[in-house]
Amino acid sequence: MINMNKLIRSATPYLFLLPAIAVMSIFVYLPILENFYYSLFRWSAIDPEMHFLGLGNYIRMFSDKYIWLSLKNNVLYAVISVFFQVAVALILAYLLESKLIRPAWGTFFRNALFMPAVLAVTVVGLTWYLIYRPDTGLINQFLRLINLDSLTRTWLGEADTAIYSVIAVSQWQWVGYCMVLFIVAIQGIPDELFESARMDGATVWQQFILVAVPMVRETILVLTSITVIGAFKVFDIVYVMTGGGPNHASDVLGNYLYRVGFRNDEMGYSAAIATLLFVITFALTFIQLRIGRSGSED
Amino acid sequence: MKKRFWSIVSVLLLASLLLTACGTPEAAAPAPAEADAPAQTAGEGPVTIRFFHKWPEPEQLDYYNFVIAEFEKTHPNIKVEMEAVADEPYKDKIRILMASGEVPDIYFSWAGEFSWKFARAGQALDLTDALMNSDWKDNIVLAAVEPYKVDGKVYGIPMRINAKFMVYNKAIFAQYNLSEPTTWEEFLAVCETLKTNGVTPIAFGNEFPWASAHYVGDMNAKLVEGDTLRADYLLTADSAALFTDAGYVEALNRFRTLNEKGYFNEGPNGISHSSARSSFIAGNTAMVYIELEEFITVANDMGTDAFGFFQFPSGTGGNGDQKLLTGAPDGFMIYNKSQHPAEAVEFLKFLTSPEMGKEYVKRLGIPSAVVGAVTAETAIPAVVAGVESINSATGMALWMDTDMNAKIVEVYLPGMQAVLNGDKPAAELMQEVHDIAAQVQTELK
Repeated sequence: MINMNKLIRSATPYLFLLPAIAVMSIFVYLPILENFYYSLFRWSAIDPEMHFLGLGNYIRMFSDKYIWLSLKNNVLYAVISVFFQVAVALILAYLLESKLIRPAWGTFFRNALFMPAVLAVTVVGLTWYLIYRPDTGLINQFLRLINLDSLTRTWLGEADTAIYSVIAVSQWQWVGYCMVLFIVAIQGIPDELFESARMDGATVWQQFILVAVPMVRETILVLTSITVIGAFKVFDIVYVMTGGGPNHASDVLGNYLYRVGFRNDEMGYSAAIATLLFVITFALTFIQLRIGRSGSED
Repeated sequence: MKKRFWSIVSVLLLASLLLTACGTPEAAAPAPAEADAPAQTAGEGPVTIRFFHKWPEPEQLDYYNFVIAEFEKTHPNIKVEMEAVADEPYKDKIRILMASGEVPDIYFSWAGEFSWKFARAGQALDLTDALMNSDWKDNIVLAAVEPYKVDGKVYGIPMRINAKFMVYNKAIFAQYNLSEPTTWEEFLAVCETLKTNGVTPIAFGNEFPWASAHYVGDMNAKLVEGDTLRADYLLTADSAALFTDAGYVEALNRFRTLNEKGYFNEGPNGISHSSARSSFIAGNTAMVYIELEEFITVANDMGTDAFGFFQFPSGTGGNGDQKLLTGAPDGFMIYNKSQHPAEAVEFLKFLTSPEMGKEYVKRLGIPSAVVGAVTAETAIPAVVAGVESINSATGMALWMDTDMNAKIVEVYLPGMQAVLNGDKPAAELMQEVHDIAAQVQTELK
């Protein structure tokens, strides 16, 4: 009987975890397994008949140039996003917290730069779609006004510019958001550190590099991984602005798998791409967790 | 003991919760109705049928709400639940509904391959008997039923007819002494005159590449010999010969020429079709390639007499039939496993009755597939003339993006954007189309 009681007592924490595990299993883990199972077949939404292919869908991915194109665009998205949403956002945050700007204009700029983050992606996408328009869009009109007609482009309609135009909008939307997180982190740095740096004769730049950056290291890590993972999961802004066009030039994995599934009627292949996306984001999350843990140990 | 009892109870409760939750997806799947299940009869309480289409515009919804209200008045035991999403999202949404099993009783479908795949997959009810063995068939333009047939069986009921015409601004054409061109060369000459006079010849919005498919589809039909084209589109041709006719390359080259010579507005790939149409209505461009259903929009904003139209002479010198018109009927299908097939048929019959057909043309200015609905009383002269052109055409070239397998469309249509931009030679795209067509052909076998 005593053993029984002991057993129950040691099982109690797991019992309390059980609801959470159950919910997670049903809505997260089970679908991941199901997705993998479905990726082994050729089937469509319309015709439920399934043909077993084994790993055929995965082998096909290697020779599908649009997969590589999408991956390349995702990587571009990640690299550019990290530059703007981590590096630039941090510099902006530091500037807004500096003695020059903060007292008079800090609140204004903080709100102004943060504003795009509260807008819905569809609203942002459609607004920028109009700004990018080749004939009546603001950008081309401005270029014509200053006699730079040669620089006008069909920003969203040319293979060379489409993906960059979309990425730029993402930066515009999220730099302010990341900046605010950095401001919070910078405000958490004890003032004495900056004071003693100044007494030691550190320049503003040195204070930034040697005091601020190391002190907000955790925020940098978290934002970097969130940004990178977000860049691989991106779907909405691309879907709204270009739909992946022209001719797949701005396709990203999320967008491509959606088209494969719901336009090409290839649910199995779509599921295989989803698995690829899962592996990528899982690996990135894993790395983030490792770095995060090493951070908390010291 | 008491503690232990509660522990066990809670484990059991959670376990049962887990099990039922796991089981839910199975249980939620709709139980397929027996094909010959008797329709619910009146007196058993109202029956609800779900109706899904692609016209969410307010005027359109007004019309359908009117039809539903009239229908429910005379059929008190049937309730109609309507849902509508726009043209592009419809292509995704209907597939999502099919995959989830939540298929509406009546759903819109384009004619041709788009509808045939529903029929092949057993998602569409065979309407041959309901239509052909009753007086229903007298109400509908039977030529419009043809593209909804698979193996001689009718799976869809057309409710409107549509075709593509080159529409021009009469004032601009008069200003430069231009007349309606009847050959490809004349058409190019018209464009050249306009361009040298500083007028953008054609408004074109190709953000979504179905717009280029209307050009290329029209050219294909006129440049490629009819039987060859059918065999390629339907994948019945010899695997090595699929899409190898020189006409296909010529079609893409003609399409590209229009952009290369600056006959389209700037950056068509970055502009939507509706904003291109707006620039025509505003008088900024001389021509626009639009559907008969859009005539009323142009007429409302420009005036009935401000515009004229002609059949696009895109295929001069080609092996195809030059008198074909690009266009197709739009219609509805009934879900094969619908719980209430009889009620759904009843509603479609009502929707395509002479009264409702006339009401459609009168309210929306769009030609109906109902016999005798388009008359001088119900429609503007341009629409009446458009319908006459459809009747005198030797046949219809269906919208190519809904007339061939979706996987080929996914290569062909986005590829047209690249050809238009000059990023891809026409021959290279046709090689890719050939490759994917051959692949799809083997998969279907």
